[in-house]
Amino acid sequence: MNCEVCQLKELEVEHFEIREVLRCILHTIVFHRALGLVRPKDVDLELFEITYVQCGDMELEKKIDEKIEQFISWVEKHPNKKSQIILSFFEVKNKQPSWFTHKTERLQWEQWYINLNVAQHPKAHSGKSHNSKVVVDPGESALEERMARRAVLEASLHEVLFQIIKFVNEKKDHVPPIPNLEGVVWFPHEITIPSSSDSAFGMDMIKRMLQTGHPTMLS
Amino acid sequence: MASSHGNSHSEAAKMEQIITEFYAKSLHIILESRTPYMSSRNYSGEQALSSPSSSSSSSSSVRPRDKWFNLALRECPAALENLDLWRQSHLEPMVVDVILVQRPLDCEPVKCSPKRDLVRNLSLKERYPYCWNYEQEEYGCEAKSEKIIERWVVQYDSRKIRDTNSGSRRSSSNTLHSLYKKSMLLLRSLYVTVRLLPAYKVYRNLNSSGQIRSFALTHRVASFAEPFTCREEAAMQRFGFTPVDTACGRLCLSVLYCSSLSDVSSESSTPMSPQLIPDYVGSPLTDPLKRFPSLPVTGSVAHAFPPSSSFSRRHSWSFDHYRASPPSVSFSPSPTYSEPRALISNQSSCFPPTIMPRYPPETSLVYKKDTSFDEYSPAFSPSPSSASPSLPIFIPGSHHSKPLLQSESAPFSERTAKLANSPAFRNKLNMPLRGFESGSSKTDKTRGFMEAGTAVEKFSSLGKDDARQYSEVKISSSSSSRSFPDDFDDSDFPCPFDVDDEDVTDPGSRPESFDKNVPLCEPHAPGGLFPMKKSQDAAVGALVQMFRKAPPLRQDNSNSVKFSQACRPEIWSNSSQEPHQPSKGQASIQRDDSSSVISSGHVTSKTTTVALEELQSYREMKNLLLGQGSKSHM
Repeated sequence: MNCEVCQLKELEVEHFEIREVLRCILHTIVFHRALGLVRPKDVDLELFEITYVQCGDMELEKKIDEKIEQFISWVEKHPNKKSQIILSFFEVKNKQPSWFTHKTERLQWEQWYINLNVAQHPKAHSGKSHNSKVVVDPGESALEERMARRAVLEASLHEVLFQIIKFVNEKKDHVPPIPNLEGVVWFPHEITIPSSSDSAFGMDMIKRMLQTGHPTMLS
Repeated sequence: MASSHGNSHSEAAKMEQIITEFYAKSLHIILESRTPYMSSRNYSGEQALSSPSSSSSSSSSVRPRDKWFNLALRECPAALENLDLWRQSHLEPMVVDVILVQRPLDCEPVKCSPKRDLVRNLSLKERYPYCWNYEQEEYGCEAKSEKIIERWVVQYDSRKIRDTNSGSRRSSSNTLHSLYKKSMLLLRSLYVTVRLLPAYKVYRNLNSSGQIRSFALTHRVASFAEPFTCREEAAMQRFGFTPVDTACGRLCLSVLYCSSLSDVSSESSTPMSPQLIPDYVGSPLTDPLKRFPSLPVTGSVAHAFPPSSSFSRRHSWSFDHYRASPPSVSFSPSPTYSEPRALISNQSSCFPPTIMPRYPPETSLVYKKDTSFDEYSPAFSPSPSSASPSLPIFIPGSHHSKPLLQSESAPFSERTAKLANSPAFRNKLNMPLRGFESGSSKTDKTRGFMEAGTAVEKFSSLGKDDARQYSEVKISSSSSSRSFPDDFDDSDFPCPFDVDDEDVTDPGSRPESFDKNVPLCEPHAPGGLFPMKKSQDAAVGALVQMFRKAPPLRQDNSNSVKFSQACRPEIWSNSSQEPHQPSKGQASIQRDDSSSVISSGHVTSKTTTVALEELQSYREMKNLLLGQGSKSHM
């Protein structure tokens, strides 16, 4: 099966920005892959002047948030690393039973690689609101720098969102037929974050490569 | 459509239906995020105005319309309205222009309503030209500037039948499914995209916090596009969605958009105010009636803009800023929009931020005076004596306007400040004041005025020399002939009038004009425009003061005109501060600043509307005065 892969532009984020950035990207992708009846929900980012779209499904939101939290805790244990979150869409197919495999099989038809470079800023800076940050470092230059960096990130995030849109536009053929089932809103998908041990993550990636038959880029 | 003749009718019909629905959904998506839901205070998309409740809420029930492409959208009457028209259009291209309308803020939503209705009733084609031109139409709004900030084009390119027949037949159902799926994908990316384009920020701005804006979004749906000029086109970026191929054509969606709308989308834009001002001042000669509709508005500024509207503003910082350093904020020659607004909000005044361009109550008076007199009443015609040659701008009859000016704190204050600063003036001024005061204390308006007039005369005779000396002062400060009671200890500040008097050149004319003016002056009470804000007593007191000090009409015309044109925002903020300004010292400082600013202005002509507005405000003042002045002061 044809599996399309989209490598999103790497974003330089600070720790406290991870949550918003990932939400924005993940929801945007999933929204594009939610071909069931959706009632879109606009969400304004707090840190950036960007509005993204969710499917308006609590379950989904929760699931994505959980993954993000996992990722954040992973980042805390592994500072200063480039990291990758993979959002994969797959179809579940019944496979002919054989002694080797499970009865069902996941056929991935799309993978999104979200690349983050979490900046090394000490955690002290990562208050959730920028107000607190302002208080923390009154130095004007530091503040300006921060604002400038923020602006850059906003622009980059914007770019990534457009990258998603373009990809969705250009690659439509591989998307499976719309699920007919009532209540099925989006295609089955999975969010993969680096697991606690790098080697396991590597293994996971390898498995994935084997599964899809596509060389995927390891960071 | 051509396609309907080719393959099986049902397939073709289905396809056409999908395409039609695609048009509809696209339009819905676009307009839903471009037509602000209206609150009464925020005038924006004309169409949206009529449907306040519409877009903000989404019902949980699934409407048939929502099922198309599995995308449930909020109600968007603007879209529905256009859709009905569109369904009959047989898949012509659909061009949706999103238009940013910038207008002077004195254009009331109310006034605009007739236009809106008109728009609604017009058929699509009629509407198109109409929309294009309406900026020039009367409607009571000042001239608006319109700019197309987005142009969406939904288009179905049908191939010729013979090209497609062969291929399409075999998998038509597949094709349909595929078409439908791809359309869904396309619409989802459209949905995301509309929120990422700059115009969305404008939309959000309009929706946020019910502020009154000087800009609005409107739209136009047509089957053809008015070509952009090269320059316009160069300023726009294009984003083309990948077309969806169908059995016999392709479904295309693209957008041209302005990549930078920073001036509008970010809270407030400095560039806007300068643009608006000239329009606002306008030339009465060319279009004397143009501003009539706004007349009723001025009288009831307070009502038109509920105070609450100003509070919701996001940028609280401006508030502080204002307090901390009023002069810097209010007097910079080219204030940013935000500042004036901030001022407004702070004061809890009734004026909406947008007011700036429109006349702040006080400013407006000044403005009106200058502009209105000639056209308005013959009595005020400039005195025959010509202004001194050195000051071509200056209108000799200007002193007549003074009584009118009284109510405005700001304008005079500036002038007063100047005067106060010049010792020579002070001395001279005091004299007339005395006489003035005694006369005016009786609240007998006529009498007060008469006396004032005489005082002025004396004054002028005294001050001729000085007047020349200070001619510059006069010019710059002329708009503020009257001192506000708060600022200078009171009433004694008689004189701005004498000062400006160029009258020097023509002393004789003054009294005469004065008399004529009296009737007009009567209605004029200081609290007239914003009596609500001040305490009654204060208002009455201020009124009395004004009367006492009333200078001959007209004196300042030239100056005030300049004033209004060049620095309306400043003036306004300045003047608006007055009523609330507790400290005199501060006030005087501000005045100085503003007066200097004033001098840099350009002369403008008056408008009839302004005159009428002024008249109205005077009437109100009069009523107020009659009702309360006597009570509190007798």
